[in-house]
Amino acid sequence: MRTWLVLFRKEWLELLRSYRLIWLPISFLVLGVSQPITAYFLPDILASSGGLPEDVVRSIPLPNASEVMAGSLQQFGTIGLLLLALSSMGAVSNERASGTAAMILVKPVSYLSFITAKWASILAISWLSFAAGYVASWYYTVTLFGSVGGPSVIAGLLYFGLWLSFVGTLALLFSSLLSSPAAAAFGSLALAALLQVAASSLPFEQPWNPGRLSQLAAGGLDAALSDGGSAWLTVAVTATAIAAALYLAARSLQGHSRS
Amino acid sequence: MENISDSQLLSLLIPVIVAELVLMVTALVVLVRAERTRGPKYMWALIILLGNLLGSIAFFIFGRRSD
Repeated sequence: MRTWLVLFRKEWLELLRSYRLIWLPISFLVLGVSQPITAYFLPDILASSGGLPEDVVRSIPLPNASEVMAGSLQQFGTIGLLLLALSSMGAVSNERASGTAAMILVKPVSYLSFITAKWASILAISWLSFAAGYVASWYYTVTLFGSVGGPSVIAGLLYFGLWLSFVGTLALLFSSLLSSPAAAAFGSLALAALLQVAASSLPFEQPWNPGRLSQLAAGGLDAALSDGGSAWLTVAVTATAIAAALYLAARSLQGHSRS
Repeated sequence: MENISDSQLLSLLIPVIVAELVLMVTALVVLVRAERTRGPKYMWALIILLGNLLGSIAFFIFGRRSD
């Protein structure tokens, strides 16, 4: 446990040194706030940019508060996910390339604790950034559009946080499987997109699909987006997948350093 | 939905602008203090200044060299 804490502190320092602890939360903050603000000003923007007749502009309905919140979740799901994957794409492969990993792993440190320390730091930065952006978006939505139900907002936070954790874990896994950071980012994003598309477009029920998580988060806020399925299996499968991915990442690191 | 006065709107917009400025200034400070960057420094300065939020983010992701 003590060695794990040492490793985690190293990862935390790395977050600070790479300035991720500054730019990721700020990016998420601006991302989360921009959705309610643009939704609020959309009629004005359309009116001043011209081209549309005035009665058309007036007939565009303002979205309600929960739709705006679901909209900012969508922003986090695309741009936010991209930022997180890009920021953690080199987590293992860079250290292997620079020799840091070898230097640490000659000491009596298990591969699994090396990986889980990295994983914990990725999770910490993801949850921190997402929570900052989400709470800011909530505050702006409530101020500009009116109140949103508290329980559904918190459920949205938890489901979507789990989804981000899942994709972050995928990035870590691919980073230890592949030597190229770009391939790791692409692999994790592609797999995440694939799961998400499968969850929303295949005609049969997929209560096991982690790609449903973002839908669950948005569906709690905006009933029109809900697919009405139960969440427990999704959460359980995602947690199992995360654990399996961590084990696999540690095994792959072991294989690489033996050869 | 109640109408919102101009001063209230301003107080909502200012935090966003401050957050973007903080990010931009941090990126510029990091750029100036960095020994080496991927590509010329003046190019990154332009990207950060003109590219707003995305420019700063791009610098943090792609511009820095860790060694």
